[in-house]
Parts: sequence; structure tokens; C-alpha cells
Amino acid sequence: MPAILEARDLVKRYPVGPRAVDALRGVSLTVDEGEFVAIMGTSGSGKSTMLHLLGGLDRPTSGEVVIDGVNISRLDDEQATLTRRAKTGFVFQFFNLIPLLTVAENVALPFVIAGESWAQHRARVDELLEMVGLAEKAAHRPDQLSAGEQQRVALARALATEPAILLADEPTGNLDYTTGTEILDLLWDSSERLGQTIVLVTHAAHAAAYADRVLVVQDGAILDEIALGRRRDHEARPLIARLAALGL
Amino acid sequence: MRLGDVAWRGLAARPLRTALTVLGVALGVAVLAATLIASQATTETVRRAAQELYGSAELRVRAFDAEGFTPRSVTMLRQIPGVLNAAAVSEKRGQVAVEPDRVFPMLLLGLDPADEELIRPHRVASGTFLDPGQPEGVLLTERWARDNGFGIGDELLLNGRRQGVPPVRVVGLVADTGFGALASGSVMVLNRPFLANAFEIPVPVRYVDLQLAPGRGDEVQAAIDAGFTEPFVIETVADAELQLDRAQAGFAGLAFLFSIVALAVGAFLVANTLGMTVAERTREIGLLRAAGTTSRQVLGIVLRQGAFLALAGSVAGVLLGMLVAVALIAFLQSTRAVLVTGVPFHPGALLLAALLGIAVTLAAAALPALAAARVSPLDALRPSRQPGRRLGDRLPWMAALVGGAVLLGLLAYPLDRGRGSPAGVLLGAGILLAGTLLAAVLLQPTSVVVGRPFEWLFGAEGLLGRANLGRDRVRTALTVGALTIGLAAVVALGSVSASARATADRWVTSILPGGYGVRLGVADEVDAIRPTIEGITGARLATPIVETPAVVIRGGAAHEALLAGIDPTVFQDEGALIFTQGRRSAAFEALRRGGAVLVPEPVAVRDGLSVGEGIEVALPGEPSHRLEVAGVVAYSLPSRGADGALLVSLAEARELFGVTRGELWAVARQPGVPENTFRSAVMETALGLGGQALTAADLADELGRTLGRLVGLFDVLALLAVLIGGLGVVNTLAMGVGERAREIAILRSHGMTVGQVQAMVVAEAAIIGAVGGLAAVGIGLLVAWTTVTLAGPREFAAGLALPWGVLAAVVLLGIGVASVAGIYPARAAARTSITENLRHFE
Ligand SMILES: Nc1ncnc2c1ncn2[C@@H]1O[C@H](COP(=O)(O)OP(=O)(O)O)[C@@H](O)[C@H]1O
Ligand SMILES: [Mg+2]
Repeated sequence: MPAILEARDLVKRYPVGPRAVDALRGVSLTVDEGEFVAIMGTSGSGKSTMLHLLGGLDRPTSGEVVIDGVNISRLDDEQATLTRRAKTGFVFQFFNLIPLLTVAENVALPFVIAGESWAQHRARVDELLEMVGLAEKAAHRPDQLSAGEQQRVALARALATEPAILLADEPTGNLDYTTGTEILDLLWDSSERLGQTIVLVTHAAHAAAYADRVLVVQDGAILDEIALGRRRDHEARPLIARLAALGL
Repeated sequence: MRLGDVAWRGLAARPLRTALTVLGVALGVAVLAATLIASQATTETVRRAAQELYGSAELRVRAFDAEGFTPRSVTMLRQIPGVLNAAAVSEKRGQVAVEPDRVFPMLLLGLDPADEELIRPHRVASGTFLDPGQPEGVLLTERWARDNGFGIGDELLLNGRRQGVPPVRVVGLVADTGFGALASGSVMVLNRPFLANAFEIPVPVRYVDLQLAPGRGDEVQAAIDAGFTEPFVIETVADAELQLDRAQAGFAGLAFLFSIVALAVGAFLVANTLGMTVAERTREIGLLRAAGTTSRQVLGIVLRQGAFLALAGSVAGVLLGMLVAVALIAFLQSTRAVLVTGVPFHPGALLLAALLGIAVTLAAAALPALAAARVSPLDALRPSRQPGRRLGDRLPWMAALVGGAVLLGLLAYPLDRGRGSPAGVLLGAGILLAGTLLAAVLLQPTSVVVGRPFEWLFGAEGLLGRANLGRDRVRTALTVGALTIGLAAVVALGSVSASARATADRWVTSILPGGYGVRLGVADEVDAIRPTIEGITGARLATPIVETPAVVIRGGAAHEALLAGIDPTVFQDEGALIFTQGRRSAAFEALRRGGAVLVPEPVAVRDGLSVGEGIEVALPGEPSHRLEVAGVVAYSLPSRGADGALLVSLAEARELFGVTRGELWAVARQPGVPENTFRSAVMETALGLGGQALTAADLADELGRTLGRLVGLFDVLALLAVLIGGLGVVNTLAMGVGERAREIAILRSHGMTVGQVQAMVVAEAAIIGAVGGLAAVGIGLLVAWTTVTLAGPREFAAGLALPWGVLAAVVLLGIGVASVAGIYPARAAARTSITENLRHFE
């Protein structure tokens, strides 16, 4: 499989007062097309920073990110944004939705942002809502939904344009186990059916167990890489054992 | 740390917002201070001008009719015991030319320099005063000379002068007060003997000013009453003051209206800003409450913020107001619409402006302060502010605020000495403010419709921009309201002045049949002049309008009136005069038969006259004649008071009242003769007669000019209010952008470009502007309609005229101002960091 996402020696340094914090200290990685990768690590280890750089939301202090052959670290903001629009979808932990827009409008947002009429994509929006099981709530406002439902809407939106890469930052962090599992199953489905590349940030082993490969991050660097292979049962025990071996 | 520090830190944490709000209050107070100063300046100038016009003279004896006083009468006045000095003044409306095509209508005044020096000060700014040894020397007002490019030593020609009369030469320039205050400064002061003989028809003495020995006033009056045979009126400096004041076009009242508007906008801004701050800090306030802060203490914190804004804004506003006043007065001087010189900085006016500013600001702060006091400790635990707060909750408060502002205006009004009706002014202000509230309530449904074009124009950004307006309806409503008020004032001004102009057109065409005229400057024998005027090339007809001062006897007392003679047949055939009572044909038939009179509407209304009733009309000192009212007309020729002339037939004027001389001729053009050719022909003949050519259009322009200039001034004040409203837009949008940082980050992460984010904010601003502009059109027209409907029947007889250009301009202005105001918040939105705002919660 060809690499769709590549990071080369990423460093991210935040100036904090007179000193500087190195959130990432030279991270290199490659994600193949269709691969499901999880990034694990303790709070503050640099997971979100890494995901943001991979998705082109921010620029590294040094190093490069290549998305589908495009080196976005060398693009200006406008070009980087357009690349992001074309190639990626994001799901975050909290408050993913625009409170003023209905569920359907939120899902249609990527089309609207791209300047397309959303009537044109009505069928696609319905299909996505059907997929996440929220067809009935299309006209609801986000604050009328439960946290799990909100997260399903966010996922539907991230998948709306069928982006090559889906980046999710602790999408289940705010949910109970069952609801979280529904989200993870949806991610798995789209990986399976669409062959979508998925990068999932999580600190929960049962979530990381959906991945083909797990990157363990500590102190801004990749500590280890655990290859699980594609598995339908998402069994977490082998992963937990490997993590324990690492002393985590 | 004391609790009070929380208030200061709250303001300091948002320096831009605080600064904009202080600026908004300051602008409101500045407009108030400036208008107070300006109206004080006009009052003082009027008083001073009247005093300078009289100098040390106590009495003015004015000739009652156009013939003026004979030299014998002047001598007789001079010799009355108790009269120390007497100064005779002659007067003619004339024209002065430099080249044949540069002609200026001017008021020509003839003075005797030796007498003048004893009676009144003439403030010669440069050059010298008149000198009898240099008979052709004249004075001009400094400003007029400068505006028209004249200086000392320049020569000018009197149009219509006798053969052999030399050009006059400017020897001095005088200040704008005294005689310079007359005729908006278009005044030429000449040596009286020179002026008397400069034209074929001698220019008579119109009045004599008398300086009296102390305590001899009654004695002198008695002597005049007993010994004087020619008809006369006695006037005092108070009359002059009243007359000058009448020409101020209701300046003070209107100015006050606008300052209240500006202040109200400032209040909107304060209510909005503090409201936003409170909303933003709901969580913090909840924490303070949870930690044991009482709701009174919380109230105190917000009120302290309000007090700071009030104090800082008012002090800055008073200082700014002094600058604005200087500019305002300079502008008023340049328009000549209002008589004003000097800038009086009375501490009282400045203090009043500051106090009003503080009071209104504090009242506006009370609203958010109470909202803050109601925050419960539980609010600290809620995850986020709920969008779309209800408008109804705060509506009563806003209504109370508006009522309070209007009431404060009512309290302050008498201090402002306005002569316009305070009720009318307050009604205007009330409609403006109430309408704005209504617009705020209707904002949501309106924005859905108004937002459409923007959604089409801006696409996704327009849609999101419009949706954002629904986030905090109260805030949006206040923002739109603040912007609307000033724009509505512009609309109201525009339509009132368009209505006045339409009425002026109707008036002029109704009293000048044929649309062209010749004004001779001095009355002359109708029969002698007729051939000349009828001889104008291309004239279809010419008809004289004769005038004589008369008295109407009413309730046993004689009242001054103007009687005019017209040709009923010509007026009827030409469709002149607008009848508000009586049948047109019957009325003209009655005039032809004799014994009938047409009365102008204001007279009919005041005296309760209707068709068929009789009135007694007389020349002073002569037996009266009973005339039957044959009709009531909407407009008549202007008289010295506000009444307008009584109209009889030419024959009646001649036979009953012996009037055979007329100053005004109406002329009609033959069909097929080009307008320009005819106008030149009329002009040539008028100049030959030492008079002035008139056209209905020019006259209407002239009538509309003063109003137009005042409207220009008030437009400037209203635009200041729009500017304050614009500050509100900056505040609101900047706040909204700050609040939505996370949403913007989400949008950006989904591929929204920086340009799209900016467009979204600007679209939101533009929709605010469009809604504000459209609401302003509705409210402004309502104000104008009320003004037109409530005003006297004469002022706006043509009804409400719609100034389409102004209406369109106001909507565009609203969109423009709001869009510009959106630029800063748009840039702030564009700078929103994606990662920082995503990180917040993770
Ligand atoms: N804007 C910032 N300024 C300073 N330090 C930051 C900033 N963002 C992140 N950090 C620091 O970088 C490190 C990594 O943060 P993050 O990537 O959010 O960790 P994670 O998502 O794994 O919890 C942390 O120590 C955090 O404090
Ligand atoms: Mg994180």
C-alpha cells in the first residue's frame, strides 16, 4: 500500500514566557492508504499536537507533513486550507457542532464551505444521517441531542465528502462505554467499506484496539509502535499486554 | 484585592470594547454639548444683532406703506423735544452687477454717516466707514465680500440706475452683526443721498431710529402720535429680536432632537456593551456568587463599570463637544441659515451635557447590572451559554430606558430655550426610539428575508452570517437599533425637506401665474409700466400684483395686514391659487363683481373665518370697508408676519384703497418660445427697470435653500449618530467573534479559508446594516409623515414627498457603515488560531 500521510522529523515548540515547551520533539511516521492507526499516550504527551500537524491545522516549528503527495508545510494558509478541505475530515472530543445550524445543516457544512448548494447534496446528507442512525433528528438543533448523538453527527459530517483521511481526537473521550463503541464501530465501518485512512487519538486501550497499528507517544516522541493487524474482533487484551510490557 | 477591582479588571480586560463604548458615549455627549452651545450662540447672536441694529436708539418709527417718509417727516421727528438724535434709513431691494452676467440680489440700505455715528456702532472690519465726501463709497459685509471675491476698492454697478450714476466703490467691510445680520448678509450700505437719487424712482426713508433723553419715552411717543400725519408703526429692539429669531428656522428645537437621538444611541451602546460583558462573564459571576458574593455586590460591580463609562465618556464628550461646537458654528455661519457668531462656552451648558450623559449612561447600565445580579451560583456549572436568549425578557427594560431618555429630554428642554414646540420635538424623538425598539423586535423575521440576497451573494458565509444574528437576539437587536436611529433621522430629514420643497413649488406656482415674474424693487405705477412688461419678447401675458399695507379691524382693534390686488380673470384662467374653501369660479366671479376678498388659510383658521362672512379692511387713518370672504386660499403672497396677504381685485384695490402702484408682475411665456430665450428677455426687461427677474423654480429654490442647508447640518449630526451605531456594530461583532472562536476553529478545520471567515463576519455586518437601513426607512418615513401631518396646513400642503434617492442612499449607507464596522472583527476572526481554540477543552 502506498503512504498517504507522512511526517518527517516534526518539532513543535511553544514559547511559554521566557522558556519554551517542546510539545513534539522530532516525530516521523508514515500512514498507508486504508490503514487504521491509533495514537495513544498520557495526557500532555503531545497527541493532539501531532494530530493537528498531521491534518494541517497548524504548522510545525520544523519538519514536514506530506498529505497524499502534497507537502502542506510548504503551502500558504489558503492552499493548506484547500488541501485540508479536499483530503481530510476531523472529529474532536467536544463541541464539534455549530449550535445555530440544524443537524442536517451541520452535516452539509463541508459542501456549504466548498461553495456548493446543499440542495444538490440532500440525498447524500440523508444517507449519512441514515448511516449514523439520526435520520429522524435531521431538523433538530445540536443542543437537543445527547453527547453520543452529537458525536455521531460530527462523524457523519467528517465523512460527508468521503475524505481520504479521517482524523479523530479522542472522539469517545466524552462518552460512556456503549456509546463510545457505537462511534468506534462507525469508524471501523467506514474504514472497511470505503477503505478510508483513519488516525485515531485516544488514551483508551479498548478504542485503540480497533486499529491495525498503535503508536505510543510519550513526552513528544514516539515511544513504540505496536502492530496489531486487521482484526474483526477488536479484542483489547493483546494490546493491553503489549502496553504493560512497555510499563504503561 | 477588593471586590471593586473586579469592575476595573473587567473593563481593562477588553480595552478595545471599553474604548469604543467610551467613545460612543463621548460622541453622544459631544453632539448634545455642541448643539446646546450652538443654540446658545444663536440666541446670543440674535440678541446682540438686534441690539447693534438699534444701538442707543430706543424707538424705531417705521413708515407704514411703501412710499416711506417724506424729508419733512424726518425733520419733524428730529425736532420732537426729548429726541437727542435721529438716524433715517432708506431701503430698497435691488441688484448689483459686476459684469452683465454676474448679478447679485442685495438689500440696499441708505444711511447718513454723521447720524449713524451718534446712534449705533458699526463694526468696520477693514477699510473705513461711509464718508459723505465720497458719495459713491459703499460698505459690504465681510463674509459676503469674501464669499463672492470682493475687496476694498472694487467697483460695482447698481442695476437699473439712472443715466450718469457712477459705479459704487467698496470702501469698507463690516461685521456680520448689526445691518450685516439682515438678508443673510447680502447687504450693501450706501450714503443715503446717493441711494435716494440713484434710480428713476427715488428710494424713500423707511424708518427713523430715535435716541431719546432719559425718561422721555412716553412724552416722545405722545408727540409722534399727535403730530405725525403719515401712517407709521413704532417698533422697539424687542421687535427686531423677535423678527431675527423667527428667521432661525426652528434651529434650537431640531438641534435638541438630534442631540437626544445621539445620546440615545450612546445609551444603546452602553446597555449593549455591559450586557455583553455580563453575558460573557456569567460563569465568573456565578463563581463569585458561589463564593458568597451577594447579588447587591454583583450589581455594584456592574454599576461601577457603568459609572466609569459614564464619567469617562461624559468628560471626553464635553471636551469633544467644544470642538464639535466650533465646527458646527463655523458651518452654521457658512450656510447663513442661522444667525450666529462666536462660540460661548458657558459652564452651565457643558455641565448640563455632562450630567445628561452620565444620567443616561447610568440608566442604560442599570439593565445589564440587574441581569448580572440575577445570575445564580448554578450558572457557574452550566457548560456554556445557551444561544438565542429571549428578547421578551428584556423588552420592558429597554422600553423603560427609552422612556427615561425621552423624559430626561423633556426635563432638559426648557433650559434650551427652543422656540419650536417641545411636544413636537419629543413626539419625533419618541417615534424614533419606539420605532427602533419595534424594529429590534421584528429583527429576526426581517433578517431571514433581508439576509437572502446576502446568502446569494456570499454563499455559505452569508448563510452562517445570517444564522449568527440569531445567537443573542437582544444583543443583535440593540446593535441594529443603535444603527437604525441615526439612519432613520436622515430619512426623516430627507422626506421632510422633500415635502417642504414640494410645498414650496406648489406655493410659488400658485401665486405666480405664468411661472415668471419681475420684481421692481420699488412700487411703480401699474399703467405706466404695463407696456414695458407686456413688451417682453415672447410674453403671452403680464399681470401686476399690487400691494398695500392695511389694517383689519377685528374685535374693535386694528391689526396690521397686507392687502394685495390681483387680476381675477388672469388668475382664474391661469389656474393660479389653491382654494381650501369656496368654489373657485364663484370666488373669482365675486372678486370681479367687487366687495369680495380671498383670505389665506392661516388667517381664516386663526380668526375662524369662513366663506360668506364679512371682514372690515381699512387703510390706516381712513374709513374701513366691509368685504365678504369669497374663498380661502392655501397660499398667498408673503406678508411681514406669517399671515400672507388678503387678496382683492385690482379694480377694488384702486377704487376702494387708491392703490395704483405695484412692485411685482407675473409674466407668462408664449407657447413655442424656448424657456432660456424667454428667461433672458424677462431678465433684460427687469434689469432695465432696476428690478429683478423671477422664475417660479428659482423662487422655490430660494425658499428651499435655507431649509436645505439646515437639513445638511442635521444630516451631519445624524451621521454622527450613525457613526456611534457603527461603533456598536464593531463591539457586537468583535464580541461574537471572540465567543465563537471555537466554532470558527471547527469551520476552519473543515476547510473554511481565512477569506471565507472574513466574508462570513462581513456578511453578518452587512445584514445588520441592511436590516437597520430598511427599518430606518420605515421609521424615518413614519416620523416624517407625523411631522407633515401635525404641522400647520400651510407648511406641508403638498403632503409627504418621498425622496427616493435618500431612501436608497440610507439603505446603502447602513450596509456600508456596518460592513466597514465589520472589517476589524473580520480580521480578528481571521486571526483566530485553530489549534488553540480546539485545545481549550481537550
Ligand atoms: N498553545 C500552547 N502553548 C503552550 N504549551 C502548549 C500549547 N499547546 C500545547 N501545549 C503543551 O504541549 C504539550 C502537549 O499538548 P497536547 O498535544 O495537547 O497533549 P495531549 O493531547 O496528548 O494531551 C502539553 O505539555 C501542553 O501543555
Ligand atoms: Mg489532547
